[in-house]
Amino acid sequence: MNQVATSSIAVRSARWARENLFSSWINTILSIVCIVLIYNVVWGIFSWAVLNGVWEAKDRRECFAILGKDENGIPILGACWAGVRVWFNNIMFGRYKDGQWRVILGFLILIVWLIPLWVPGVKRKFLIAAGAIGLYPFLGAYLFLGGERSWFMSFMVSLTIINLVYNTTDWVGDKVFRVSLADTLRWKLVDRIIPEKQHTYALMALFAVLAVIVGYLMRGWGLDHVASVRIGGFFLTLVISGFGITVGLPAGIILALGRRSRLPIIKALTVTFIEVFRSVPLITILFMATAMFPLFMPEGFELNKLAQVIPAVCLFSACYMAEVVRSGLQAIPKGQYEAASSIGLGYWQSMGLVVMPQALKFMIPNIVGNFIGLFKDTTLVFIVGMFDILAMTRAMSNDVPWRGEFHEPFLLTAVIFFVCCFTMSRYSQRLERKLGGEQQ
Amino acid sequence: MPFCTAISMLNLIYNEKIRAVFFQVLTFSLVAWGVFYLYTNTNENMTARDMKTGFDFLWITAGFDTDFHMIDYKAGDTYGRVYLVAILNSLLVACLGIIGTTVLGFFVGILRLSSNWLVAKVAAAYVEILRNTPLLLQIIYWYLLLLAFLPKPKKSFDVFYLDIFFLNNRGFYGPSAFFDSGSGLVAAGIVIAMIAVVVLFRHARKVQDLTGRIIPKYAWGLGIIVVVPVVAYFIAGQPIGWEVPILKGFNLRGGWRVPPAFITLVIALSVYHSAYMAESVRAGILSVSKGQTEAALSIGLNRGLALRLVIIPQAMRAIVPTMISHWMNVVKNSSLAVAVGYSEITALFMQTSLNQSGYAIEIVALTMLFYGSVSLTISAFLNIYNKNVQLVER
Repeated sequence: MNQVATSSIAVRSARWARENLFSSWINTILSIVCIVLIYNVVWGIFSWAVLNGVWEAKDRRECFAILGKDENGIPILGACWAGVRVWFNNIMFGRYKDGQWRVILGFLILIVWLIPLWVPGVKRKFLIAAGAIGLYPFLGAYLFLGGERSWFMSFMVSLTIINLVYNTTDWVGDKVFRVSLADTLRWKLVDRIIPEKQHTYALMALFAVLAVIVGYLMRGWGLDHVASVRIGGFFLTLVISGFGITVGLPAGIILALGRRSRLPIIKALTVTFIEVFRSVPLITILFMATAMFPLFMPEGFELNKLAQVIPAVCLFSACYMAEVVRSGLQAIPKGQYEAASSIGLGYWQSMGLVVMPQALKFMIPNIVGNFIGLFKDTTLVFIVGMFDILAMTRAMSNDVPWRGEFHEPFLLTAVIFFVCCFTMSRYSQRLERKLGGEQQ
Repeated sequence: MPFCTAISMLNLIYNEKIRAVFFQVLTFSLVAWGVFYLYTNTNENMTARDMKTGFDFLWITAGFDTDFHMIDYKAGDTYGRVYLVAILNSLLVACLGIIGTTVLGFFVGILRLSSNWLVAKVAAAYVEILRNTPLLLQIIYWYLLLLAFLPKPKKSFDVFYLDIFFLNNRGFYGPSAFFDSGSGLVAAGIVIAMIAVVVLFRHARKVQDLTGRIIPKYAWGLGIIVVVPVVAYFIAGQPIGWEVPILKGFNLRGGWRVPPAFITLVIALSVYHSAYMAESVRAGILSVSKGQTEAALSIGLNRGLALRLVIIPQAMRAIVPTMISHWMNVVKNSSLAVAVGYSEITALFMQTSLNQSGYAIEIVALTMLFYGSVSLTISAFLNIYNKNVQLVER
């Protein structure tokens, strides 16, 4: 029995190979060429990176000494990972030396915040996402930069923490113990005091009061100040692209609505704005931001480079997102607009409740594609002199002990980007299939 | 009475026309105020820093040299000329990048659809790896790779083994042509040959439509386009010659040269964008329904003809718009030349010239003008194409 199964597998694979690899003599040649190519590339990289990789060395010369030469006197090729190990911290965090736990904690909090979006069946995902976009930046900014807090900052940070705790206990409780904190609050406690319509306001007021209290309690607690120029490496790339993505989508939606508006002046203004910034490359906008921003601002108003670059990236991303959203809006049949207004919805209601959800759903692959593009384009800040991941990668090969070593750090950076972008694109494909399946 | 005014006030508020006017006036005045605010700030800043404005800086001499220029340029020429040099350099690298992208993109796109599983997977890996890493990273990596592996001028690679093209760490060298009197005759020969080929193709088409006889137009056309200029060349007494680069001292002299940064850019832009292009080509070909292939085969066309006459023309309708937007991206991304120091418009004009002269606003405006006019031209062509295609359709 077992014999039959194995032979059938062998037969099947032979048939598969004959059909897919060797169906004609051209295909046979192509297959052989491909096999040789794959063998050379994969084996070459494997032996260079893994078999001959040097992990412990104090500089590049020592790496070469360890690798030595073969019998013909040709140096053996091998990766000098020792340098990457020394520089790894720089590539990830830039010059953010002390308190890297703050950065890690910040990203962990963000991940905890965003997990429910991936969990099927969690309620109020929109509110969770909106909280992450609207509130998290305050907590993140304080964690990363620290320093003196204004009362407003204290308030926002504690509001953010409360929101996070509330969200998390709510969905975890709902999933694990079948007890939703939100529903309990709304229907068991608030309902006795206040009519149903005002529950949301009541909860908001409750949060605000709690935030004031927590903010007051936190007044003695603070983090050391870290200069924004110290933010660097992959961390900086994430910060800038994070801003670009979270600001770009809402701003893009507004611009797209403006472009589709029936009001001529608004339409003309948005069209000009979008087209001007879409026709020039990002690097031009970045130069413009760093060269002209100081000219535009009133005397004595100074911004660090990070604060000049982030608006430029956001603006760029908004204009591209606007075009994606617009094409999504165009794909919505006119009947949807008419249906929405026939049941008495106004402009904002029909857009927000009927048209936009469909358009955004329709456009998810393109939106994610745009995110990926923006994430990759963030590396351009290197050109205007920021210490992002690419700058750190580049700096390593100019560092004296590791001078001239560039394959290893570039491979690391490329792998980091590949993993991030590939995951995003696969996720969007999965989402697309899922949503496509829902519609049918 | 107050009740009535309240009602009419409400009517006013909810009147759609009044609301439209109100919102537009509001937006417009906000934007106008913003522009005015920035304008006054800029003015104040510029007077405070004693900066000059106006486009007359284009006639001021620039004190820097460039590594690569297609028209004559030396330190001491005007900024206007720098702008021209930069535009030409940008256009050259973008054009070559576009050609490379298109050729490589079609090639990989067709490989992705190969019936050979392995070939399709290799092509897919190519696409995924290139699309998911940043272009800037790729450009810098190519640059470092080229600099690491290119030899010194004394040991130049003799590309094609012709003793004409050389490759070393100063760049890629080739022969340049010089034109004596009588070159006009050769040029005329080329023009006449081109016209003749067009006439020939039309005639061949007509003959084929009327009688079904197929004239070997490609062979004839090639013959004409080669023979006529060569004949003109000899009649005029060989007025055109080549100047071949020769090693003198530490460097090659004569001929033309493109710097390594240029080679890097052409390779990196072509390779990166070919991955996107391949996906468009693949999607375009897949968008042609299978029935079309079967129909073409059933009327007796062979696979090559079916692909050329039936599949590709229909696929092009889907491919061309995305292809042109990829071209646009090649033009825009050629600005990354600034990272490897190739003197195109962003590097030479927007960075060097701006730092040297300080005319920030004018220079940014001129740079945006260049990119804006390129993108407008390209989208104008796209619109013309779309119109033609739509006329063909139904």
